[in-house]
Amino acid sequence: MAGKEKPENGKLKVGFYNVTGCAGCLLSVIYTEGDFLEFSQQVDIVSFPFIKEKNDDEQELDVAFIEGVVVTKADEETVKKIRERSKMVVALGACAHLGNIPALAKMKKSEDLEYLKYKKEDFNMDREGGPAPLHTLIKIDYTLPGCPPDRDEIRQFMKYLLLGKTFRNYNDPVCVECKLRNNGCLLDQGKICLGPIIAGGCKAVCPSGGLKCYGCRGFVQGIDKEFDGYFRIMEDKGFSLDDVKRALETFMAIDAHKVLDEKFAQYQLNRKAREESYE
Amino acid sequence: MQKGVFDDFVREVMQSREFVAPVKGDQTKEVQESFFTDIKDPSQIEIGQLTYFPIKYYFFAKKEVLFSFHKNRIEEPEIDIPERVFFGLRLCDLNSIKHQDTVFLNNGFRADPYYQARREHSLLIGMHCKKGDDHCFCQSIGLKDFYDLMFFDKDEHTYGIDVGSEKGKAFVDEFRRFFEEKEEGYITPEDKVTINTFKLDTTNIKNLWDNEVWSSLSEKCTACAACNNLCPNCHCFTVEDEVEVGDVTKGQRVRKPAACLVKGFTRVAGDHVFRDDLVGRFRHRIFHQLEFFRDRYGETMCTGCGRCIRGCPAKIDWVTGINTAARKQRGGQE
Ligand code: SF4
Ligand code: SF4
Ligand code: SF4
Repeated sequence: MAGKEKPENGKLKVGFYNVTGCAGCLLSVIYTEGDFLEFSQQVDIVSFPFIKEKNDDEQELDVAFIEGVVVTKADEETVKKIRERSKMVVALGACAHLGNIPALAKMKKSEDLEYLKYKKEDFNMDREGGPAPLHTLIKIDYTLPGCPPDRDEIRQFMKYLLLGKTFRNYNDPVCVECKLRNNGCLLDQGKICLGPIIAGGCKAVCPSGGLKCYGCRGFVQGIDKEFDGYFRIMEDKGFSLDDVKRALETFMAIDAHKVLDEKFAQYQLNRKAREESYE
Repeated sequence: MQKGVFDDFVREVMQSREFVAPVKGDQTKEVQESFFTDIKDPSQIEIGQLTYFPIKYYFFAKKEVLFSFHKNRIEEPEIDIPERVFFGLRLCDLNSIKHQDTVFLNNGFRADPYYQARREHSLLIGMHCKKGDDHCFCQSIGLKDFYDLMFFDKDEHTYGIDVGSEKGKAFVDEFRRFFEEKEEGYITPEDKVTINTFKLDTTNIKNLWDNEVWSSLSEKCTACAACNNLCPNCHCFTVEDEVEVGDVTKGQRVRKPAACLVKGFTRVAGDHVFRDDLVGRFRHRIFHQLEFFRDRYGETMCTGCGRCIRGCPAKIDWVTGINTAARKQRGGQE
């Protein structure tokens, strides 16, 4: 429960950290502007190395926000230490949540990626097993998904922390906000928009700009038959399972194949069962 | 009214009111498909096609602030709605407003003041359509005449206009110089004809609850809720409190549309979901449209506009599905 740990007297102790990531998520926190200032007055921001000079990285925390994906041994150590001294850990953004772009490394041989390292001497993908989203290594209490996370959702989370209420992520598909924002549909234009199976909360920012949804916020939680419908639409439009996987790889390289393979197998079984029942 | 003076008429109305009419959408703009908006010039009006987006959000707002609060003090908002003339509404659009009225104005001990304010400042002018497209089936529903004024395309030069209310009459009086008095019966039954090639078999819907048609129809459904959000009649909503970060005892209570196709619609405290199964949600929407609403209010809610089929990414044609199922149940007879 968000804020359950709120100290009787005094303020919540909060830290903002990042491991391997672009700092865009931390920027999104700051981009809540006035609200971040208000928030920072009502809690005790113990550590925020990205914008603060003096940080205390030993203290126990009530809430730790972590941006980024675990790529190096040092990253792993960092997140584990934060977990140990924090009552609540929040995965901030798509890297922390899903692995995002860095996790694409998993799909390539590491030699092929050498040329991408811009500072060889101090950047070392020395960790066994390659890039890993946070939940695979430590317990995560809340997730603020998205690349970058939605500012209004960050605001909302701050409020829930202050209220001491359980936070719930937006869990309707992207299409809901897409239609309410007066968009037509990219599927009608023959594009593999992932909107129907991806959780919204981003105000359908990509389809509203004419780009298909690439799934940066992860799947809608708790759906099953919805996948069947989606595969069926894809099939009717002449797209294969691999096409869908490729669309999903950008942000979900780690889960895309596994989850889609499972859902697709289920879809084929359901379809067969249904066809037999009609005969 | 002579068609030649129509543009002048619109311009004159625009002097004192917003003039809301159907216009084309644009893939690169804010609104990608055809919709209703307050136009700036009569040349924008596009009456040739049913709009992709429904009219309802002018009345049933996408975000309505019900009141603001601070600790235990509550303040109701001033509802400031401009005078609006709606033009180019088809009979299905008009009937959907009638149904929204049923829900928000004539349902219980008190009318909804937010909706009421929006409706009171509106004048509804219809434009008769002679022929529906591939997805229109309004004739199967039996729509009612419901308008302040209705335009009919009499001939090459003339619009015939039927006055449907006191409000419509007062409006005609105000803009007298654009209208000509005609004898009783000038608008004939033939003028009111609309041709549909698409039809819904409504004879047997009650008996289709346990039919396999729902699982076959929903095979392609992704629960994207485009059908709910595009339907001019769907009126379900959710209510949320939005507080301020600086002071969480301060905020607003807001009302927003909610869609029955998504799983979260029936989630209640304790995380129980009543209509967990997508097939059940799909069926529920259709039954609410065709049966439940009528059981309660005496009229079919669906107005046969077909937006839920046109706008569905899978183009699920539930009308044909029902027709086939009903025919099968009758042993194959038409
Ligand atoms: S464009 Fe994408 S997100 Fe929008 S309605 Fe279509 S599938 Fe859904
Ligand atoms: S628009 Fe089509 S796919 Fe989307 S929820 Fe409605 S019936 Fe299902
Ligand atoms: S259910 Fe479909 S056809 Fe009926 S009024 Fe709604 S959008 Fe139109």
